[in-house]
Amino acid sequence: MSQIVSMTINGEERELALEPYRSLLDTLRNEGGLTGTKKGCDVGDCGACTIIMNGKPVNSCLVLAVEAAGAMIETIEGLQLAPDKPHPLQEAFMRYGSAQCGFCTPGIIMMAKALLDENPNPTEDEVRFGIAGNICRCTGYTKIIEAILATAADLQRAKSA
Amino acid sequence: MTIHDKTFESKFAVVGRSVKRSDTLEKVTGTACYAGDVALPGMLHGKTKRSTVAHAIIKRIDVSKALALKGVKAVLTHENVPRVLHYGSPHPRSASVTRDQYILDNRVRYWGEGVAAVAAISEEIAEEALDLIEVEYEPLPAVFTIEDAMRDGAPVIHDNGLPQNQVLPPVIVERGDVEKGFADADFVIEGEYELGRPTPAYMEPNICVAQWDGNGKLTFWSSTQTAFMVRGALAEVLGIPLNKVRVLVDHMGGGFGAKQDLFQHEFLCALLARETNRPVRMEFTRKETFLGGRTRHPGRIWLKQGFRKDGTITAREAKVLFNSGAYGSHGPGVTNVGTAALTSLYRCENVRLEGRCIYTNAPIAGAFRGYGVVQTYYALDLQMDEAAEKLGFDPAEFKLKNAVREGDIAPSNHPIVGHGLEDCIRRGMEETGWPAVRRHGRDTGVKRRGWGIGCEMHGSSAYPGIKEQGNAIVKMNEDGTVTLLTGTAGLGTGAHTALSQIVAEELGVPFETISVVQGDTDVVPWDIGAFASHTTYMGGRAAQIAAADVRRQVLAHAAPQLGATPEELTIRDGVIVVEGSNRSMTLAEAVAPQRGMPAIQLVGVGTYTPTKSYSFAAHFVEVEVDTETGEIRVLQVIPVHEIGKVIHPIAAQGQIEGGIQQGIGHTLSEDYVIDHQTGRSLNAGFVDYKMPLSMDMPPIRTIILETAPDPGGPYGAKGVGEDPIIAIGPAIANAVYDAIGVRFRRYPITPEHVLAALRTKKQEVA
Ligand code: FES
Ligand code: FES
Repeated sequence: MSQIVSMTINGEERELALEPYRSLLDTLRNEGGLTGTKKGCDVGDCGACTIIMNGKPVNSCLVLAVEAAGAMIETIEGLQLAPDKPHPLQEAFMRYGSAQCGFCTPGIIMMAKALLDENPNPTEDEVRFGIAGNICRCTGYTKIIEAILATAADLQRAKSA
Repeated sequence: MTIHDKTFESKFAVVGRSVKRSDTLEKVTGTACYAGDVALPGMLHGKTKRSTVAHAIIKRIDVSKALALKGVKAVLTHENVPRVLHYGSPHPRSASVTRDQYILDNRVRYWGEGVAAVAAISEEIAEEALDLIEVEYEPLPAVFTIEDAMRDGAPVIHDNGLPQNQVLPPVIVERGDVEKGFADADFVIEGEYELGRPTPAYMEPNICVAQWDGNGKLTFWSSTQTAFMVRGALAEVLGIPLNKVRVLVDHMGGGFGAKQDLFQHEFLCALLARETNRPVRMEFTRKETFLGGRTRHPGRIWLKQGFRKDGTITAREAKVLFNSGAYGSHGPGVTNVGTAALTSLYRCENVRLEGRCIYTNAPIAGAFRGYGVVQTYYALDLQMDEAAEKLGFDPAEFKLKNAVREGDIAPSNHPIVGHGLEDCIRRGMEETGWPAVRRHGRDTGVKRRGWGIGCEMHGSSAYPGIKEQGNAIVKMNEDGTVTLLTGTAGLGTGAHTALSQIVAEELGVPFETISVVQGDTDVVPWDIGAFASHTTYMGGRAAQIAAADVRRQVLAHAAPQLGATPEELTIRDGVIVVEGSNRSMTLAEAVAPQRGMPAIQLVGVGTYTPTKSYSFAAHFVEVEVDTETGEIRVLQVIPVHEIGKVIHPIAAQGQIEGGIQQGIGHTLSEDYVIDHQTGRSLNAGFVDYKMPLSMDMPPIRTIILETAPDPGGPYGAKGVGEDPIIAIGPAIANAVYDAIGVRFRRYPITPEHVLAALRTKKQEVA
């Protein structure tokens, strides 16, 4: 029996009809039509499904959609500041070549956003620790870490300017 | 940080610059479409039932309960699918791959093999239905190791007429006179090297979606590196013509070689869709991606070499034994390439090499970045390190002395172009301050450090195993913009960007004016697929040829308008100029339709059938070994690569950094393990299959040389995809020796191995 659950996704209030056993990940991808969030394992091991829920990064495959009733959800699709204006993290990931196959990318960018929201000026070790639960099999992480650190520095500069 | 040596002055406008990759905006914004993102009206979900025994005949399979479950639309077993023997990886039906699989067989050959498939209105119902399928197995004796499979009286896994469960007749490579070589030696060394079972572990699980239209045409979305091969296999097995199968691959989440194969579910998905007359989607779980996926060939290498006192290699003999698992897949190709690789890297005139590949009831080994060479060069490079020490040489000097040179005959029987390997070793020695950095086991504390060097060379393209071909079509539109149609897949390497750069360079137009059409077998020209480090080398060259064709046509068309001959014209940044004059016009002006006239047709076609070029690398690595926990940490890597002309530096670095990550995993932690009683997999998931993640990855300071451009590649470019994963392993193992004085002739080298070896060493000393 499906039930109606409402949540705010990327600033838009949504009412979604879903089965009670549905994960938030499947709900976002299927009922929500937001396929930017990826499924790499479905059991909480890879971070590809990372989204921000009520300000905190979570593996959306481990959250039941019904548990997200009333929650504020941010996904990769909501990150762009305007249609032609990517978020600074997205800009940096492009500039530094941080996305190869791109399958881990939405999850890592969301994790990085949560990280920078909480700690705007992280050290390299803090960045490495922050994305420790996100598997990337293509890049060796070098360019991902460069991009996150560069974004932090840019945001700091912008703030002090 | 990256150092990028410019050994010749850049005369290029677009090539060699890290332009913004054309595919990344979609990736960072989450709009990139992967096969798993395709949703069609009425779409059903397919699931595979997998065997719970390693080797058995299916005596009875009862699907009645599953079919009766509400929401189940179809169930397939070996009893109702076509029985067609097919290639596991249909590379133009070449000898590199075997033809030994059925969609579903009445026999299972490994634990986790698909035995039935269900389509239902939801994934959950499909899964429930799997549990309702009753399978009665008549167990057969199973073998998991090479030794057991080759033994007299071992069960025959495939009746291919060869004894001892061999996948192919032994590969024998002989050059010179190995007996004489050993007789001439002052010093002989031999050793046996044990190879674990790493898996590619790409982030996107295998996935496909199938849809039939009313005219009997199949549209098929798949995460594959070889769209045209998938098309060919589907058409052959389903008995339909090629123009009735359209394979679509937009983005894919990694493949690393393994996604050249077909994994049963492609056929099952197409058949379920046909049977139900509805679209069907089949996505592997992560566990299935391990179970039904492909691994690198595990096995064993015995290697013996003779040396003169001055360090010259007089003879090399090897026996390479690979465990193919339950099916042949790329076993023949991997065995040939890996074995033949031992003719080279370090010069030796007298070699005798033997390679064998053996069926067992283990998981299927297939193609994986480094294709047999990871294994054989691991053994070779470790032994060279050991020989250097025994003969009193520094290992880098020793490898430099024996390094393959310009004009030497490569494994493919081509002469080597340029001094790539020597340049890499020299440059790495300078960069690290070699040999002063080496520790020679001097450290005595709990944590001990060491440096090691590992070398490799690898061919771009699978020639001579497969005669490959890349094709491209370049069209210039009537506003001067350009459309490139390429058959090559976008694995995530940035290949389409590199191809666009090559087209822009050849035409003399800005990079931004090129757009790429790819990933649709109905539209783009035939392509063999993306593998063998050949995408830029081969696909790029085809694109260059097509662009040159368009350029000729454009200049012929513009010449009368500018009152000049085509030979006097050049195109720079989208403007056609008459050399040595002030006459010019933009491309857009030149090709725009004149009033009342149709546009001119500007289409160029490029076909390129490469032979082979070789890229080279030397990796320098510092490790730290914790003698209490046995943990090995890689502290830094300095990879020096010679890859000819670099088209997109950041993308090339990305290949190197990512290859190093996978290679560190292979060497230190990754091993897909099965229980040798049952064949059941023991670590089919990311928690237990341990890969290096952000906290484990060391800083990497990549150095790229362009000293030996290849005349066959576009602007002298060569491949880079596979090289980095080959050199890193031996570099780590050799560094571990420098740190603690123990030679591990195996991978992975886990903390348990380190602790056990240190204990043994202590006892020996005591
Ligand atoms: S898909 Fe959620 S952690 Fe892997
Ligand atoms: S870019 Fe492929 S997994 Fe990260």
